[in-house]
Amino acid sequence: MLLKLAWLNIWRNKRRTIITTTSVFFAVLLAVTTRSMTDGVYENMIHNIVGYSSGYLQIHQKGYWDEQSIDNTFEAHEELNQKLLSNPKVTNTIPRLNTFALASHSEKTKGVLVLGIDPIKEKEVNSLDQKISKGTYLTSENENAIVLGEGLAAQLKLSVNDSLVLLGQGYHASSAAAKFKVKGIIKLGSPDLNNNIVYIPLKQAQYMYGAENRLTAISIMTDKNSNLDKLKVSLQKLLDSDGYEVMTWKEMIPEMDQFIEADSTGHFIIIGVLYFLISFGLFGTLLMMIFERKHELGILIAIGMKKRLLALILMLESIMIALIGCLTGVLGGMLVVTWFTKNPIHFTGELKEIYENYGIESIMYFSNSANIFVVQTLIVLVLAILLAFYPGYTVMKLKPVDAINS
Amino acid sequence: MKITETAFHCIMILMLLTTHKGVAQNPDLSAKAIVQKADENMRGKTSMTTIRIKIIRPTWQREMKMKTWTKGDDYSMILLTSPAKEKGIAFLKRMKEVWNWIPAIERTIKLPPSMMSQSWMGTDFTNDDLVKEASSVADYDHKHLGSETIDGNDCYKIEMTPKPTAAIVWEKVIVWIDKQDFLQLKADFYDEDGELVNTMNASDIKILDGRKITSKIEMLPTDKEGNSTVIIYNDIEFDKAISDDFFTTRNMKQLE
Repeated sequence: MLLKLAWLNIWRNKRRTIITTTSVFFAVLLAVTTRSMTDGVYENMIHNIVGYSSGYLQIHQKGYWDEQSIDNTFEAHEELNQKLLSNPKVTNTIPRLNTFALASHSEKTKGVLVLGIDPIKEKEVNSLDQKISKGTYLTSENENAIVLGEGLAAQLKLSVNDSLVLLGQGYHASSAAAKFKVKGIIKLGSPDLNNNIVYIPLKQAQYMYGAENRLTAISIMTDKNSNLDKLKVSLQKLLDSDGYEVMTWKEMIPEMDQFIEADSTGHFIIIGVLYFLISFGLFGTLLMMIFERKHELGILIAIGMKKRLLALILMLESIMIALIGCLTGVLGGMLVVTWFTKNPIHFTGELKEIYENYGIESIMYFSNSANIFVVQTLIVLVLAILLAFYPGYTVMKLKPVDAINS
Repeated sequence: MKITETAFHCIMILMLLTTHKGVAQNPDLSAKAIVQKADENMRGKTSMTTIRIKIIRPTWQREMKMKTWTKGDDYSMILLTSPAKEKGIAFLKRMKEVWNWIPAIERTIKLPPSMMSQSWMGTDFTNDDLVKEASSVADYDHKHLGSETIDGNDCYKIEMTPKPTAAIVWEKVIVWIDKQDFLQLKADFYDEDGELVNTMNASDIKILDGRKITSKIEMLPTDKEGNSTVIIYNDIEFDKAISDDFFTTRNMKQLE
C-alpha cells in the first residue's frame, strides 16, 4: 500500500523525478567510470611491470629474499610445477634464475642483472619477443646466445652478433664465466631493466653458474583481478613451508605498491568531491519537492494522515528515485566500461612518451571487476538514503495550519 | 755390532737434541729470522706443488684441485685442474701485479690492488693470501711475545706488524712457529679495529721432497661459524730450477 502510494507519487510530477533520477544516474556513471579507469590503469601497470620482473607471486628457496645469493637456489622439478599449476588460480608458472654478473665488451664493463629464462614460456606469458628492437628473440633453453636491454647495449657499445663476456660468482663459490653471442636487443619500458638486463637461456645460465637444474624463483602468473593474499596463503599450504617461501609482488616491489597507494589517495579525494556534488544536487531536488508539496502535505495531515506514515512514504519515494538512478547508472556504466575494455584508449603524443618512459604501455585499459560496480552503487545508494531522512524530518515538524496557508 | 749401532743412534739423537737446544735457547735469534726461516721452510727458492682445496660451509662443501709454482717472493702461478668446469683458470703473480686467466671467456684480467683482500675463488683465503703479494718477512716488523705450546709443540709466539708502506689489510698478525722444525703452526689475523678476523692452523707434518712441512693448512674465519677452508698439499717439489720466463701472462694460457 505504502509502496504503491510512493510509486504513484513519484510519477505525479514526472519532470522532477526524471531530473533527480538523471542526477543520480550521472553520479553513478561518473563514479563507476573513474574508478574503473584508475583501477584499469593500475592493473595494467602492475601487469606490465610485474610480468617482466617478478611475476604476481614468486616461490623461492626459504631465505632467498633476505640473502639473494645463487647459493639460495632450489632444485627445479616437474612435481613442484604441477603442484603449483593444480591451483586453478595459477594461470602459468615461469622458471627463472636471477643473479648478477659483470658484463664486459671490449673496453667497457658494467654490473648487470642476469635473468636465466625459458624463452618459450616468456614469449607465451610476456610476449617478450614483441619487445625485440634489433636482431631476433631466443629460440630455446639451450641456445648459446643472449638478449640484452637496449640501454645496456648502448652503454657497452654493443650490437647484434657481438659477443658479451659475463663474469660472476657461481653456485657454491664456483667461478662463473662465459662468453655469449648477442642475438637480440630488447627495448623494455622500465629504464631500470632496460639499462641492466641480460636474458640468457635458462640451461645456459644454469651451466654458467654451475647451478645445474636450479632456480632462484618460480614466478606465478594469475588473472589481473585475483586476490593475491588469498592465493599466497593457499600456495603456502601447498608447499613445504620449511623449504620454500611465497611472496607477492607487493612484498617484492613495495615501491610500486606505495606509488599506487599514494596515487589512488588522490583519486579518492576527487571521487569524494564528486560524491559531495551529487549529494547536494540530490538534496536540492528533495528540498524543492518538499517546498512544492507543502500545501498538499498539510492537507493530508489535517485530514488525519499519520505524520509517521507520511514521512515513510516520502523516504520511500527518495529511495526509489535513487534506486532507479543507480540501476540505470550501473547499466550505463557497464556499457561504457565494456566498450572501453574492448576498445582501450591509445594515447598519442607526449602522454604516450611519458607512459613509455615509465615502462607502461601507452594504452588506457578499463577494469571491469564487479567489485567497482557494487561498491560505487552502494556508496551512492547510501548517500541517497541518508538524504531521504530530510523530507521525513520536515514532515514530522510540519504544522498543518501553516502548511495549508503557505 | 748391535750395541755399536744403538750407541751410534744415541749419539746422533743427542747431537740433534743439543743442536736444537742450542737454537731454542739462543736469545739472539731475532723474531724476523725465525719468521724468515719458517717462510723458507714452506717456500724454498722455488717450489712446485699439487694441492687440494676444500671449501667447507655449514650446508655444503666443495673441492678444487690445483697446481702451484713459486719462485722467491716475486713470482707465483696457480693453475686449477679440477673441477672440469673451472679447469684451466690460472693466476699469475709477478712482482706486485696479479693476473687472472679465464679460458671460458679467453680473457686475462689484472686484479686491482683493491681486490687483494677479497675472497679468492670463494674460499676463506683472500687473493693476497694465495699469491702472497706481501712478504711475511720484508713487509712486516717482528716482535717476540714469548713461548706457547700448540698441539704439544713448543712454539715461538711472534707478533708481526705491517710496515706503513706495505699494502696489507691487517693491523697485526700473531704467528706461532714451532721451535724444533721452524714450521708455522698457527696464525691469528687482526683487522684495523684490533678484532680477530681469521685463524690459520697448520698441521699434519709430513716429509715431502725431503723436507718437513705442514701438509694441511686450515683457515677459519672467526665470525662465521662452520665456515672454513682447508688446503692439503699432495705433492711438493722444492728448489727445482724454474725460469723467470715461466711466469708470464702468455705462459699462463698454455699451462697444463
